[in-house]
Amino acid sequence: MIPDIDPANLFDIALNPAAEDPVTLGDILTFVLVLSFSVVLARVLTLYLRRSLKDRVSSDVVEPLLRLLYYGFLGIVLISILPLIGLNPSGLLLAGGVAGLVIGFASQNIVGNLVSGFFLMIERPIKIGDQVEVNGISGYVSDIRIISTLVRTYDGLLVRIPNEQVFTTNITNLVGHPVRRFEYTVGIRYSDDADAAIRIIKDLIDKEPFALQNPSPSVFVNDLGDSSVNIIVRVWAPVSEWFGLKTKMLWQIKKTLEENGIEVPFPQRVLHLEPGDKKRPQILESIKETEEIENVLNHEERTLY
Amino acid sequence: MYGYHDLPVDVEEEGISISMERVGERWVYRRKFGDEEVEKLILGDEKRLIINPVEPLNTPKEITPNLLIEFEKTLLIGAGEKKQVFLTFPVEIGIFISEKTNKNLEILDVLSLVRQKFTLYGEVSNGVVCKYWKSRVYTSPPDLDPLQEGVLELTLRNSSSEWAKISKAVFSAYGMKLYYDGAVFMKARMDILNRNTAETSFEPMPSNGDRQSYLFKGRKEAFGVYGIRKLGLVPIKFYMGWGL
Repeated sequence: MIPDIDPANLFDIALNPAAEDPVTLGDILTFVLVLSFSVVLARVLTLYLRRSLKDRVSSDVVEPLLRLLYYGFLGIVLISILPLIGLNPSGLLLAGGVAGLVIGFASQNIVGNLVSGFFLMIERPIKIGDQVEVNGISGYVSDIRIISTLVRTYDGLLVRIPNEQVFTTNITNLVGHPVRRFEYTVGIRYSDDADAAIRIIKDLIDKEPFALQNPSPSVFVNDLGDSSVNIIVRVWAPVSEWFGLKTKMLWQIKKTLEENGIEVPFPQRVLHLEPGDKKRPQILESIKETEEIENVLNHEERTLY
Repeated sequence: MYGYHDLPVDVEEEGISISMERVGERWVYRRKFGDEEVEKLILGDEKRLIINPVEPLNTPKEITPNLLIEFEKTLLIGAGEKKQVFLTFPVEIGIFISEKTNKNLEILDVLSLVRQKFTLYGEVSNGVVCKYWKSRVYTSPPDLDPLQEGVLELTLRNSSSEWAKISKAVFSAYGMKLYYDGAVFMKARMDILNRNTAETSFEPMPSNGDRQSYLFKGRKEAFGVYGIRKLGLVPIKFYMGWGL
């Protein structure tokens, strides 16, 4: 049987009349309205703050801050309006303690990720936009969320890594420092002038704006190899320009050395055959037994006696 | 080359050719320098081209707002002393488009005729990347090519109680104020706090009084690339904490 309801007192209808402090339909409506309004307000506020801070503060600082503000604001509002629906926040603390234990055991991974996410935001070993290598995954950090970190790999894939994994494994931040070094090994022929080659390479580095003046580059003969004199070239560059410079300079060095008559040799061997045998085919067959490996003087000096 | 140019414009100097001519309903901006060629289309009338020196931090790419000037010879300054020296700095040429009233400026192009180099000031782990320039130290302003170099009047003040050795100075572009009229000038100061630290800043043209001083006499203030940006809270001083 449906009770007679006066439409004017519709919002005063108690949903739990037996309770000490009954909750009315009006209270529920107020709760929903206040919560909805707060969500809208929090979104508008974060949107406004994001726009106004966009050009002034880097996104890796803004995003976690806004997220903290958004959820913090909603949390405070929620706790304040809980009495409207008959829930006492102080009672919740006690209930929360017990429930926390249960939830904690049941959702260890989620809580682990959450806590790791919190520490990631505080310790900040990586920031949004950084180039990182985490657990064998390399790419740009596109977002650090409460539970997971999103990485955009160099080939454009989106990888979601749980924060616990990010926090407990080795992270290599490729742009963690303002500058970074790269290294080449340039082999030249034994007949070439290594001093001239070093001078040419140093000149090239000097002309390159992004090859840093300090820490100074180093170019030196490092090894007398089987087929070449090996020159090591070490150059520091700003992290933002490191890759571009690294890919540009090696070919430039090779071309300029060749323009100056210095060549990068192929791997080669000099074969000395014992003289005196009359039958040429036999000589050829015995090459393997008499061959002697020597350092090469020159590509052109490959000799058969 | 420096100054305000009404359209159409066609200027050529030291191998740089800058022109802006009307083609149909639009203006075409062209700049040639060596192998480099830039062409842009501009819609709208009643415009003006402004060519002036700008902060030397925009080419070949804007990666840092800091300029490090290394002195050719180390300077020593006694405790409590205040001395003035002149240095050189690299100049970049900025080409702006504006309304006739010089309002609403927009940068069109920046070029440089001098050698570009970057360096690190400080440690690999926490230093700052700076544009690099090496300068002689002069006791009076040197004559320079205004399209390539400018004169920096630097006032050194050693407020510490010991001798200070100075071999470099680092400046932030956010505080830079360039003046030009034939030559290009900046005025800066370096407050030496102790043997290893100092603070550098630029001195703008005073609104009254000191306009008759050597530097500001009859010179125009240049529009800067950093100057026309709407900046938030950015430090205009540079704290040199990794040695002088």
